[in-house]
Amino acid sequence: MRRFTSILLPTLTFLVLLGIWQGVARLQIYPEHLFPSPLSVALGMVELFRSGELWQYVWVSLLRFGAGYGAAALLALPLGLLFGRCLVLWSAFDPLVQILRPVSPIAWFPLISLWFGIGNLPAIVIIFLAAFYPILLSTVAAVRNVPPLYLKVANNFGASRTKIFRDVIIPAAFPQITVGMHIAIGSAWVFLVAGEMLGVRSGLGYLIIDSRNNLRTDLVIVGIILIGLSGLIIDRIMGIAEGWVKRQWGAA
Amino acid sequence: MTAPHSTKISLQSVEKRFTTAQGNEQVALSSVDLEIQAGEFVCLVGPSGCGKTTLINLMAGFEKPSGGTITIDGKPVTGPDPDHIMIFQDYGLYPWRTVLGNVLFGLQARGVSAGEARARALATLELVGLRQAAEKHPHELSGGMKQRVAIARALAVEPSVLFMDEPFAALDAFSRLHLQDELLRLWQEKRPTVIFVTHDLDEAIALGQRVVLMAPAPGRIKRIMEISLPHPRERTRDDFASFRRELFREFHLVHQLALQEAEYSI
Repeated sequence: MRRFTSILLPTLTFLVLLGIWQGVARLQIYPEHLFPSPLSVALGMVELFRSGELWQYVWVSLLRFGAGYGAAALLALPLGLLFGRCLVLWSAFDPLVQILRPVSPIAWFPLISLWFGIGNLPAIVIIFLAAFYPILLSTVAAVRNVPPLYLKVANNFGASRTKIFRDVIIPAAFPQITVGMHIAIGSAWVFLVAGEMLGVRSGLGYLIIDSRNNLRTDLVIVGIILIGLSGLIIDRIMGIAEGWVKRQWGAA
Repeated sequence: MTAPHSTKISLQSVEKRFTTAQGNEQVALSSVDLEIQAGEFVCLVGPSGCGKTTLINLMAGFEKPSGGTITIDGKPVTGPDPDHIMIFQDYGLYPWRTVLGNVLFGLQARGVSAGEARARALATLELVGLRQAAEKHPHELSGGMKQRVAIARALAVEPSVLFMDEPFAALDAFSRLHLQDELLRLWQEKRPTVIFVTHDLDEAIALGQRVVLMAPAPGRIKRIMEISLPHPRERTRDDFASFRRELFREFHLVHQLALQEAEYSI
């Protein structure tokens, strides 16, 4: 029964979707080059796979994503730990963060292309912006949510400030931080395409733009599918890591 | 070994006032005087609002008195001290550390070398009967076992005072009785001074050499009762029952007074 709901049902959904898609394509409302059939998309996928371009597109995108997300984590984690501990500092920066956070990274496009030119950097910066705020805010919240009892016990045993920070606050906040990092992966991946539509000549976003310019709508859809699948895989990996942390921390 | 009848903890006209959210001043404790001997087992009992938790927090240095003085070993209490360890109802174990890791925490905080810390932690776990659970995580343990880990963590640093704030209140009746006996055994072996807060009158009679009865509004000491029974105490015996009767009678009186005072204040 579980197998039925977890494997068979989703497969059924995909098959129905493919059927409808194929049916609409057969109606020829749009010409084939504007509304490709599932079959031509599959052939496009095979074509990219055979030429080796497919892995290149995915790989380049993953590298850029890793760089942007990694830089965001590297900066947001220590800042979040600091802000979470030092509430005076946080009250100084909180309003600024609250104003900047709702601004879509895409709004920064013009400035980013002026400042960072073309190439890998603008795409990385976009992903950085998309990942930075969720990681920062969840880290601050995680540190502030550390149960006071944990700190009371540590103080009672005369633990030094360094030991309390390293051996109590960081591990106590860790599960909630991983939740934030998981969420940030999802929201940053969404902006990958946007970043790669900005003056780069590689990656999944470029695949989509380039294919549209060549009227290869089948490859546009291949790009969409690859972005979705890669996003799903990254998200699942992070989900597994998060689950491991929760089990290890006994909070599952 | 400390000499018998040497004063360990001394409270002189201790007061604690809080300002409520509405800006009113509330007296949590008023003029508390209490002397506790080294190695003594004292229980604080009373209804909620009598200030027993406030009192133990003051002695442990987690809160500061608004008036009066508290000294331990003749020195005024200025803050939490690794020689005076508090045990909480919610255990305060670190879920990401193993049982052994939790017991090691206090030793590490004191800068005990890794090898010695490990040996002492394992010995203390042996003492509370949890040697074989050393590598488990707290979430794999029952409530009673968790509290034994917390007790082991405290005993590992060999504190001269154990503060216990309703430590067994969250446990089922059977675990509670077992842990009471276990605590007595550990106390007789190590002889720390124990201050034990509870609202369970039977627990207070089973454990305390003295039982401090507290009353609310304002929080204060109502009476101090000597329980002149040898440990371990047989809970089903008549002498136990007579202390029980006396304590119950005392608390009915406390309740009536509290009621009358409430009427006057309206």
